[in-house]
Amino acid sequence: MLIFDQLNKADRHLRVLSWVIAAGLLVLLIGLWWVQVVRSRSYVEDQRNQSYRTLRVPAPRGKILDRNGVALAENRPSYSIGLYLEDRSWRDAVQKEYKRAEAAARKSTSTERQPKLMEKFLSWFGYEPALTQPRKLTANEKAALGREVRYSVTSNIVWQLGVALRQPLVLTNEAKFRQHYDRRRALPYTILANLNSYQIARFQEQSMRLPGVDMEMQPTRIYPRGTLAAHVVGCLTHFDDSSAEGEIASFDYHLPDYRGYDGIEASLDAELRGRAGAKAVLVNNLGYRQSETILSPIEAGKNVTLTIDAEIQRVAERELRAADAHKPNRGAAVVLDVRTGEIIAMASSPTFDPRDWVPRLSSEVWNTYTNDDVAPMRNRSVYGYYFPGSTFKTVVALAALEAGVIDPEKIYPSKGYYQLGNRAPIGDTAGPGEFNFKRAFKRSSNPYFIEYGLQVGKDAIVAMGERLHFGERTGIPLSQDSRGILPTQDWIRKNLGGWHDGDTINLAIGQGFLAVTPLQMAVATAAVANGGKVLWPQLTISTQAQDALIDPATQRGVRPRIRDQLPVSSQTLKLIQAAMLADTEDSDGTGIRARVADYRVCGKTGTAQVQKKGKLDHYTVWFASYAPYEDPRYAVVVMMDYGLSGGDSCAPAAGNIYRALKYRDEHAPSATKNSVVSR
Amino acid sequence: MFTIAQPERQSRVEWLQLLGLLGLMGFGVAFIYSATLAHAVNTIPWYREAFVRQSLWYVIGLCAGAAVCVIDYRSICRWALVAYWLTIVALVLVLIPSIGTTHGWGARRWIDLGPFQFQPSEFAKIGFILAFANFLSRPLEELRNGANFLKALGMVALPFLLIMAEPDLGSAIIFLPVSLVMMYVGGVPMAFLRRLLLGVGLLIVLFLVDVLYAPPQWQIKLHDYQKRRLLVYFGRDYANEKMTPAQRQAAQHQQRNDSYNVEQALISVGSGGMLGKGWKRGTQNALGFLPRAVAHNDFIFSVIAEEKGFAGSVIVIALYSVVLFTGIRIAGQARDRLGKLLAVGVVTMLASHVFINIGMNIRLMPVTGVPLPLLSYGGSSVLCSLIAIGILQNVNLYRRSY
Repeated sequence: MLIFDQLNKADRHLRVLSWVIAAGLLVLLIGLWWVQVVRSRSYVEDQRNQSYRTLRVPAPRGKILDRNGVALAENRPSYSIGLYLEDRSWRDAVQKEYKRAEAAARKSTSTERQPKLMEKFLSWFGYEPALTQPRKLTANEKAALGREVRYSVTSNIVWQLGVALRQPLVLTNEAKFRQHYDRRRALPYTILANLNSYQIARFQEQSMRLPGVDMEMQPTRIYPRGTLAAHVVGCLTHFDDSSAEGEIASFDYHLPDYRGYDGIEASLDAELRGRAGAKAVLVNNLGYRQSETILSPIEAGKNVTLTIDAEIQRVAERELRAADAHKPNRGAAVVLDVRTGEIIAMASSPTFDPRDWVPRLSSEVWNTYTNDDVAPMRNRSVYGYYFPGSTFKTVVALAALEAGVIDPEKIYPSKGYYQLGNRAPIGDTAGPGEFNFKRAFKRSSNPYFIEYGLQVGKDAIVAMGERLHFGERTGIPLSQDSRGILPTQDWIRKNLGGWHDGDTINLAIGQGFLAVTPLQMAVATAAVANGGKVLWPQLTISTQAQDALIDPATQRGVRPRIRDQLPVSSQTLKLIQAAMLADTEDSDGTGIRARVADYRVCGKTGTAQVQKKGKLDHYTVWFASYAPYEDPRYAVVVMMDYGLSGGDSCAPAAGNIYRALKYRDEHAPSATKNSVVSR
Repeated sequence: MFTIAQPERQSRVEWLQLLGLLGLMGFGVAFIYSATLAHAVNTIPWYREAFVRQSLWYVIGLCAGAAVCVIDYRSICRWALVAYWLTIVALVLVLIPSIGTTHGWGARRWIDLGPFQFQPSEFAKIGFILAFANFLSRPLEELRNGANFLKALGMVALPFLLIMAEPDLGSAIIFLPVSLVMMYVGGVPMAFLRRLLLGVGLLIVLFLVDVLYAPPQWQIKLHDYQKRRLLVYFGRDYANEKMTPAQRQAAQHQQRNDSYNVEQALISVGSGGMLGKGWKRGTQNALGFLPRAVAHNDFIFSVIAEEKGFAGSVIVIALYSVVLFTGIRIAGQARDRLGKLLAVGVVTMLASHVFINIGMNIRLMPVTGVPLPLLSYGGSSVLCSLIAIGILQNVNLYRRSY
């Protein structure tokens, strides 16, 4: 063979040369084997790393709808004008300007030099060397010039855009622009976000040919009803993290994405958000996009249909705002379907605007939202500790009647106050007089309920409270779901040294070691109304794919989920129901202002004293009610912090809510059947 | 000494070698096409496309090679000194700023002749081989004379230093193995060569130590980029302790830029794997990671290696070994020392190019602008390689049968 012949040559010199060359080629082959075969994988990886960028593409977020399909949160296209740094026209514009600037820079820095020896020699023969020469720019100078040119070209484009849109536009943040160019070149640089229709029209009609400028569309979250049901719907916050389950772990680029911060947006975030997709973008050495492949497809978020009725919600919120109380009103209203536990409305005041959170919450607004005194973010219908006041007398009555302690017809002579031992007497707005059960209930006589509360004992009252599931979470899908306080043995052992009769007296009138939320009170009231069924309150009807047809299961409506059955006779319930009716219908009832024509409302007022540092600070006032008396459908609980009294502040609000409910049931018969009109 | 093992062949054209050349040219056209594919398409007419021009140079080169074969190499070598001095003049001219052009690379290597530029250093290699073979073919006794040895050294030093002055370290370096091998084969006493080797080795070591480790005021004045290339090759940091943070950052940035070509070449070669990504499918070049200015000339091998993988690399090296070893066979069959020296000189020159260029693609060698014979884009290089092959064939054609 050719090579071996040469390696065995007789001529020693040529043999050595052959060996040297053969060895050299062998070294190359071994080197190539090492690089191309042994270590190939790592180079393939390097190559992939430098030429692919992964891009996270958020999924369209699901809508939040009310029970009739009214959108409370949905997505609208939002238009913005962006500068595409990949666009050839922009790059050409920059390149052109750069050449001009570089020539100018070189000219201005051209240097004179001494002729070289050779040139001096040659100049005797008429050779004329060029002694000034434009200086060559260093790499650093070139880079700096490039940055400068890119920025000036871009700010010029932005200025022209401003002229076309007839509004002053200036590119201000050079650092941001540079950072975008360096790190996120494959994405457009946003010049103007959230265009209004005027700007869109202008941009379109000018059909501008500004280099690299184009309009882009991105879905943004909108809340068509504004602040309506803000505490239920919740709000969003910026979120570019990709650590969510099932997603590719790290991305080079993110498109703006959000996650729920509060309300349903937060608690059902996983369903609403869907799953972000991932794209692999093949880029060249300058970072410009060459092609794209989809690594994982987008899974659109699901629509959530709430049990809320937007119209009733609107009325409830209006009533809270308008109520006769300390401003700004701090209060809550809950409307519950007593048969199914559906929450028809859940209002809390003061409220916040979820629109403030998109695209980004400003720090001033954040400061007002976190003001601890007003606390607009707090959903007062489920979160917070409120004395139930006299509304708790319903529970005392349940326990005492069921235990046989109270004889409903027996007259109790009240002195108008109640005094135990040497303690300060407990006042009474009902005044002195003779009270049977019904009168004591509708006049809300403190001495009567203290007397029988003491007789039946704290344990029986607490036991009844436990069956109503006070002191426990209601299980609604909201993070703001507080337990409240019920002085069970457990609770007493953990929080108190012991229990005294004075504590039982407070308990009997809904004060002291007791706290409930309006929703808990609504569940309890519904239990009285519906014959003793303690229901799980429900907030959602369905979650289904955005493009799904109407699910027949949701058409059938929401099934009640029974949590507990009260151990009370229907006799007892009837007595209480009648007393609650009397509270609004009798002329001496405390809840008379909740009365609705042709709609028999049953209710109980409550006015609890809230003390701070041993002094009366304000009243927490209540009206817990249901209607209609004959065929109970709704429980409405209105609570106000800083109210005047339950009868004055809350009862009128409840009355108006019932009017709205009555109107709804009469005018939208299809809605009364719990059907969901899906959009 | 000359065992006549093989029968004299009828045809004295070394067809096997020409076949190897043809294979290399095929590779050259195909991969220059692939390497320049990503360049702005449709902006240049077809006849200015790199692969067309390269083909044209192949034809011109083959003609020149054939022309070289018209006259007996002994007659040619009578003019060897003239050729030598002509190339020396060209090397001087190229240093003159208004004559030599830099192509923006900081080194003055090209003479502009209107439609094309030529690189005198390429032709200097041919002139040198002719003249040096001519010089060394004198009777062996004269080579034992120290004065003649010094003359020989002078013959090497003149073009070497002129090319160093351009500066073109890579082309200059080629003179060392070529002259050394020619002296060795030509019969210069080993004692001289040992001393020479020792001296040159010592100089190189001193030079490297000086450049890499000596404090700045003691260092030889090198062009900045040359020094940086050496630092990159020896894996030394640009930044040192005395620098301010800003300087250090700039130095590190510079280092990334400078090691960029080599790293990208390595990634190209390595990501080719066993069988490669396929012709025209190389991404490193298409996406511009492998700089487009060098992909089709100095780094053409990494394009081949990426697209054809290890298999392609083996084929390229096999083709080169056919050319080189047929060259050695020609040297062995030469019937006089002149022919043998010419053949050896040409083979060594080609082998050095191949080793340095491919070695640079896999970081075995520092980056120097040494083209890969016949594969790299470039008229001067192609022309010289084919003239050199012409000389080999000439030696084969006109060997006298004793």
